[in-house]
Amino acid sequence: MSLCLNRLQEERKQWRRDHPFGFVAKPHRTPQGTLDLKHWECAVPGKKDTLWEGGVFKMDVLFPDEYPTKPPKCKFTPPLFHPNVYPSGTVCLSILNEEEAWRPAITIRQILLGIQDLLNEPNPESPAQADAYNLFKKDRAAYERRVRQVVKENPPM
Amino acid sequence: MATSAPNMGDANSGPIVEAHTLITQLYDPANQRNPTTINEIQTRLQQLQKGDHAWEIADSLLREQSAHHRFMGALTFTVKINVSGNQIEEVTTWQILERLINHFVTIVNEGEQTMVVRKLASSLVAIFRHTASSWKRALWQLAASLAHGAFVSESESQTVDFLTGVLPTLSTSKATALVFFSIALAEEALRLEAEPQELVGSVIQRVVENIGDAFLLVQYILRQIAYHAAEAGSESLEATLSHEAMGSWKTWLGVYGNHRHSSDKQTQSLVISCGHDIIEALRLPSFSESAASVLTSALETRSWAFDTHSIFTIAQVLSDSIVTKHLLSVTEEDYDNDSMTFIDLLVAYVSLVGFDLFTDPMKPQNSQILAILHNIFKIPGYAAIDESATTRVLEYWGEIAECLLDKLESSDSRYQIVKSQMAEVVLGMFNKLLYPNSSDIVDWSDEERSEFNSYRHEACDYLLSAYPILGIELVSVFQESAVNHLQKLDWRGFEVAMFCLAQLSEAVDENGHADQCLDSIFGSDAFAQLCLGGETGIPLKARQTLVDSFGKYESYFERHSYLLPSVLNILFESLNFESCAQPASRSILTLSKSCSRMLVTELPTFLDRLDQFRTRPTATVSTMPKVLEGISTIIQKLESDEQKVQTLERILGFFVQEAKTAREEAAGSALEIARAHGHLVLSCIASIGKGLRSDGDEVVINLDAVQEQDPYPASFWNSGPGSLVQQLIMEAMRLLIVDFPVDSGIIDSACDILKAGYTESSGLFVFPPSLTVDFIKSFPLGISGTDVIMATASSFLASHASHAMKIREETVQLIAHVSQLFASMLDNPDVYDPETANAGIDFLARLLPKYYPILFSLTEPLPSACGSESQGTPIFALVLKFALQALTRPEPLVLRSGSAFWVAMIDLRGGSPDETVALDQVLEHFVPHLCETLIGQITGRCARSDLTFLNDVLRRLMFKKMVLTRPNLIVALNAFDAQGTDANGNQTPVLTAQDKSRFVESLVVARGGKAQSLEIVRSLWLKCRGMAFDYAQ
Repeated sequence: MSLCLNRLQEERKQWRRDHPFGFVAKPHRTPQGTLDLKHWECAVPGKKDTLWEGGVFKMDVLFPDEYPTKPPKCKFTPPLFHPNVYPSGTVCLSILNEEEAWRPAITIRQILLGIQDLLNEPNPESPAQADAYNLFKKDRAAYERRVRQVVKENPPM
Repeated sequence: MATSAPNMGDANSGPIVEAHTLITQLYDPANQRNPTTINEIQTRLQQLQKGDHAWEIADSLLREQSAHHRFMGALTFTVKINVSGNQIEEVTTWQILERLINHFVTIVNEGEQTMVVRKLASSLVAIFRHTASSWKRALWQLAASLAHGAFVSESESQTVDFLTGVLPTLSTSKATALVFFSIALAEEALRLEAEPQELVGSVIQRVVENIGDAFLLVQYILRQIAYHAAEAGSESLEATLSHEAMGSWKTWLGVYGNHRHSSDKQTQSLVISCGHDIIEALRLPSFSESAASVLTSALETRSWAFDTHSIFTIAQVLSDSIVTKHLLSVTEEDYDNDSMTFIDLLVAYVSLVGFDLFTDPMKPQNSQILAILHNIFKIPGYAAIDESATTRVLEYWGEIAECLLDKLESSDSRYQIVKSQMAEVVLGMFNKLLYPNSSDIVDWSDEERSEFNSYRHEACDYLLSAYPILGIELVSVFQESAVNHLQKLDWRGFEVAMFCLAQLSEAVDENGHADQCLDSIFGSDAFAQLCLGGETGIPLKARQTLVDSFGKYESYFERHSYLLPSVLNILFESLNFESCAQPASRSILTLSKSCSRMLVTELPTFLDRLDQFRTRPTATVSTMPKVLEGISTIIQKLESDEQKVQTLERILGFFVQEAKTAREEAAGSALEIARAHGHLVLSCIASIGKGLRSDGDEVVINLDAVQEQDPYPASFWNSGPGSLVQQLIMEAMRLLIVDFPVDSGIIDSACDILKAGYTESSGLFVFPPSLTVDFIKSFPLGISGTDVIMATASSFLASHASHAMKIREETVQLIAHVSQLFASMLDNPDVYDPETANAGIDFLARLLPKYYPILFSLTEPLPSACGSESQGTPIFALVLKFALQALTRPEPLVLRSGSAFWVAMIDLRGGSPDETVALDQVLEHFVPHLCETLIGQITGRCARSDLTFLNDVLRRLMFKKMVLTRPNLIVALNAFDAQGTDANGNQTPVLTAQDKSRFVESLVVARGGKAQSLEIVRSLWLKCRGMAFDYAQ
């Protein structure tokens, strides 16, 4: 088995054994019922005591063949209203950037926790969508109203 | 310079007395509530512990009466050793070691408290790991010293055999102290593994030399305990020692695991032998829990510590020992954490052996282990809340289900065994999925509720993994259960069955494999009765799960359209319940969309239900738009436009009234309520637009066919009978936009309404182009939502791109409006709004490819321009000037859209030779400015993340206009004369002439290649910024 699949099997095992509360991470099931280890379906809950609390946001995590040398791509489905999420849903985060802070030792658990942190702590230096970024910078009350609506539309399963 | 050998303390000297006094004060109850005093004491103590008299202080404290002082004495040794660094030479380390060993032997002989012994063991580890130390067989020497009653040198200690000569002479307390040191040494080695090996590699090597002794010590202790337990029938006195010995095995496994060689059979066999002793300890009541915990961890991560015999013995112990009794009793007595230790061991074991558990014929102990596994589903209480065993066991079965198809052929007899076991799991887990009674759940926190919900979904993951193996039989189990529970009106059972069926929809909805099965539920009389609504008695949770499951079986209902009216009936009824409204609205949308044609006859009923729902408190922005979109998809299927008009008029008339109410609320200063109300109205109208959108297979606008088409031809909807309905929408928009409080939600929805018709040729939502233009022009500079508004303007122009010249007037108005905003910002930098700048430039960048002739025809200045920057400047030049300035802005989005604009500008190709010449002239005019701006930015001024975008402009410019760009880049670079400081403190240019020319020549060679050019640009930026900004550093 390739390094990529070995590592993903191990990640799956570790996740099953212990994962942070409220998070979901599991390989995508193909129509034939088999698992696609390079495509995970995940869900990140909003952190307690933040604007995002109460929402659970679905995300696809796509692993390249070169994983873990190269980072996975994390994509909110549907795209999420957030300054650091591209209109396509792809998350813009330094630990997911091969040229920035990605290291092969970073686990799926750390990625998802990092994304959970990002929800309430957007990085205004690195905007990915104009919609949320502008509202965040200009009209914080409207931004918060919108986030609350997003949370309402993404209730826990 | 090495310090001299530490002297014995003189209790009368000042620092020593002070240290004694400080420790007395530190533990004085009177000071315990005074953090300031405690802090001061600790600060001073730390100074003394690091100071010149620390060795004497440590010696003196270790001879004190109070354990607190002795503890601090040991700590002082550790602190002083750690801060001494290279002040200590090897000979000094031996002296300190001798002192420490003597102290250690003394305190152990005197029956010292555990905390002090452990602390002094840490001091011994501190001297072991000191860089000047060469101590090797630490365990052997310490054991010999303990046996002798005083310090024995390392070479002398090795004259007596460790296992047969030294260890048998140690008392329980001495052996315990030795194990404390052994564990501390192994833990230190594990910590050091994470540090740079060039610094700590030699220390780790010395630890590795102790591995054999460490395991011999473990084995000796465990065998002694087993022997005494068998002889005297008592284990209690040795419980601590046994616990520590097992812990020592686990910790040294970590060290050994990092350094083991396959050739080292002796240690490997010792490791396995110790493991076997621990497995045997499972049978001893006092030791079984510690043994289970240690073995679980080893089974999970160090399977090489077990051989076939060990694995066989674990199976025996699990299936027939006191461990078995523990495991079986969990269903009878109160479940507690102790039980979980044994369940963890069981799961770790079965996970390790995998499919070897399923033998054919089935071995008795495997049968027993499987029976225990199934029995765990009978543990009382709620899974994940009252007990965690169910979750662990389901995780195991999930792994089995996922791997079975890869591991065993379906013709293999063991495959059938696994299959039947998996089926048994399905039956066993059913009761564990029951949603709590209202009396139980009332005390649960939100977190517990959420945890239980997560557990139920994870449990259903098992069902999906099992489906490829168990097939339709799996669905039948829940179908039968659903029917039976529904007939008995057992709602909890019905809810679980429906919940599981809903989760299984992923596997069976589209392919129709389970249709027959599902017919038995959805076609039953009991179900028909339930759908009639009224007083069915169905509780909220069951209703919520039921309505959710309908949405998951959209393909099934599409194939069984006769069921839809009754299903939608209960869905509409469920909209009235807060906890059901969201899933019900979602399911209404899903089913209406996929079965819209079949639901046309039901439309009048649905409209009545909508009338009842729309004034309910549950009709919110999260629910009502979905219901309306669903209904609109059905309206779209009505045969004639006349029929559509009637229904739409009925719906939209209500929203115009609501818009009026919102306006009154705004006038009455209830601004927030008015905004929310207005947002709801417009988002509902936008949803109607979405629902009415033509399907892919029906007539949609064909961009090629309508090249010279009128952008707004007369139609049924704008000048026929439908115009009245269109007027209603425009009226609602006017009421909520003109002189209404600005709100980003309202803007979003209004834009959605406008965009709803952009992909249609004619229809209710195809408005006159002036509506879009007036809407966009109505917003002043600086409001939130400008990006959404301008994106709508872009969509508007894109929808008319095939006949751009037919909407010239509207395009001019939009460009002029944006230019006006730009002019305001150029003339008054104080009102600069990055959102408007970004949105405006983005709009222009998008229009360039199709609408450039219109932009470059605007050679007159803005009529209202009066500022120094904009006055007299042609509109097109004003736009280019603003876009050029955008490349220098600190706001990332403005810089990005500015870059995208210039990329579009450079890529422009004229439609005729004359146009091409004209475009080239404009671009060539800007090349020097662009070169100056780009060089200004990439010589370290812009953020690193901006480089990608600026590089896109630079490389295209280089590719398309190399002859002009090359000299201008040189000019711009020559103007860059920033100075840096070299290693000698002299001022030197950041970029030499050679750097500058190499940069330009490299760009020439790259010929616009993206990656190559970016690398060159990054290198220049790093050179100017400093290498500290390199991510690789």
